[in-house]
Amino acid sequence: MEKQIIIEALFPEIANLFGDRMNINYLKACLPEAEFIDTCLTDEPAFVNQPVSMIYMGSMTESQQELVINVLRPYREKLMELIDNGCIFLMTGNAMEIFESYIENEDGSRVNGLEIFPTYARRDMMHRYNSLVLGEYEGIKLVGFKAQFSHSYGDNSNQHFYKVVRGCGINPSSMLEGLKRNHFFGTYTVGPFLLLNPLFVKYLLTLLGAKKRQLAHEDTIMAAYRKRLLEFENEKLKYQ
Amino acid sequence: MKKNLRFLSALFISKTAMFTQKLFGMNASYFPGKLAIKLCPDFLGRIDKPETIISVTGTNGKTTVCNMIIDALTANGYDVLSNRAGSNINAGVASALISGCTISGKAKKRVAVFEIDERSSKLIYPYVRPTYAVCTNLFRDSIHRNAHPEFIFHIISESLPKESHLILNADDLISAGLAPENARTYFSIAPMNTDLPESINIINDMRICPNCHHTLDYRYVRYHHIGNAHCPSCGFASPESDYAALPDFETGTLTITHHGDTEQYPLVTNSIFNTYNQVTAITLLREFGLSAGQIREAFSSLNIVESRYSSETVNGVEIITHMAKGQNPIACSCVFDYVKKEPGQKEIILMLDDVFDRIASSEIMTWIYDADFEFLNDDSISRIIISGVRCEDYKLRLLLAGVPEDKLICVSKEIDAPDYLRFDGTDKVFILHELYAADEAMKVRDKTAARLQNFEGRA
Repeated sequence: MEKQIIIEALFPEIANLFGDRMNINYLKACLPEAEFIDTCLTDEPAFVNQPVSMIYMGSMTESQQELVINVLRPYREKLMELIDNGCIFLMTGNAMEIFESYIENEDGSRVNGLEIFPTYARRDMMHRYNSLVLGEYEGIKLVGFKAQFSHSYGDNSNQHFYKVVRGCGINPSSMLEGLKRNHFFGTYTVGPFLLLNPLFVKYLLTLLGAKKRQLAHEDTIMAAYRKRLLEFENEKLKYQ
Repeated sequence: MKKNLRFLSALFISKTAMFTQKLFGMNASYFPGKLAIKLCPDFLGRIDKPETIISVTGTNGKTTVCNMIIDALTANGYDVLSNRAGSNINAGVASALISGCTISGKAKKRVAVFEIDERSSKLIYPYVRPTYAVCTNLFRDSIHRNAHPEFIFHIISESLPKESHLILNADDLISAGLAPENARTYFSIAPMNTDLPESINIINDMRICPNCHHTLDYRYVRYHHIGNAHCPSCGFASPESDYAALPDFETGTLTITHHGDTEQYPLVTNSIFNTYNQVTAITLLREFGLSAGQIREAFSSLNIVESRYSSETVNGVEIITHMAKGQNPIACSCVFDYVKKEPGQKEIILMLDDVFDRIASSEIMTWIYDADFEFLNDDSISRIIISGVRCEDYKLRLLLAGVPEDKLICVSKEIDAPDYLRFDGTDKVFILHELYAADEAMKVRDKTAARLQNFEGRA
């Protein structure tokens, strides 16, 4: 009997800033038999009391990051246990920073994170960083968009999500994007990361143990991906 | 700030530049101001300003509101200085002030109306201190530049001078909280039978209480977070309005209740979106000191400029071009909702690619997942021709919105799109185009019209 897939989306009422929510909608389209749970800020997360296959969280505002850190702090040990046990996490945009050591403001003040990863983030609210990014993870070429006020610093050489081919990683000097431990995937790439990367969705479906690995609207999503990849691989393309 | 030699030199040079640009038929609404600020960084602080300054900012509707205010003031005999013809950043405001002052920098007019770009507030408000500061609303906009509404909120709120009297939308719980220590007047639209119990849009950036973070209860919603809400946990709620409007779209009247008195105005629009714009303008004009009669008279001959809209009927089919501001999910969602609600059977041509990004870069497409393409999943829409480089992205978005695949056609060149129209029972063809694709949209419209002229299949 196939294992029931349960996907929990954390705080969709706020963590959906750049179309991130559509990652969940697309998974729903690919996995019609999976169970999806939306957990609001005032709810106890489902992962506390029941097994979940995957936890997703998207981009949010800076003040909401602080709110989310406070809401999740009581569950830090549980989150670490889930990561260690191979639960899939996908964090897009600045949701990744929640799991870092701290977030530093321009004035030097710090917001303590969940301290699950040793890296830290630094905000610069007057300088928005916008860029395209092209990378590679386990042979899968990944494309994405970045639009952010903060970058991460520290050593992610053993805990990065993917190697950057063009664009930048967790900060403008890095070519290693995001954070990864077991099946925890964190990336600054904002918004519809899965819709931009159908091959990674297939990889995810395999990790989830999905019986069918046919993508929803496969022809169209692959055509969009191939066209974008061709553009991103063009050396003349402006990344910023 | 006093006028020093540096300022006077900058003023002289920028006035000369303005004169020269005008001599050659150029638009002198940006460069002279830019030059003046380059030569004298605090130029805006040193130049004389009109006695009364009205500023209008906000994500959507600020141009329309500015136009209404300027037209109404002009109709009532005021000689108004404005940046209507040009840029809404600091250089545009400086250009307007340069055009409205003498060679010694003395203001020639007593009233100014400036449209202010939200992000430019911090560069403008320290020097140009509005008597009345209007904010239409705050929504998500371009993620490159505006990031998110909370970021824009803080920029505006922290830049507004303490003495500015704010004109704010009580139905927008984001902008309603701007600069809490400033004096303010709120407007709203009273409950209507078309109101919804909750937002049906993808984006609602006011879902939780800013104080206790519980989910807000909406008494009614117009679109996105525009409506009336309260927190069942801590009592936080939409503010009471000073001007409560009630539109009657059938009779074309707008009734406004203010301090217990009722005033009636001609309604200049049939959309809720522009009704908010009109109520914003009326509230400002009443606070400015015009009587209801003066405003009513001005609005009786006022039309909303439809430069972003055109309509012609060929062989019984109406061809409508409508700007759908790309990268702005709210503006596009409003247009999609409008198209859905228009009567008749429709075919749509989408041409939403960012014309600049596609020249040298690859457009950031996150915004299409914030826009309500679901509104285009409607029986009255028989076909959607998606044109441009990003056609597969839009097709995927429309498929996820539930639009049947057999209704969707992708073409890479916009000008080829009319070739795929079928006119099979079609009453209206909508050409929805990006802001900077207006010229191409006109070519697509003309080609559509030419096809219809020769089309014999229609009864």
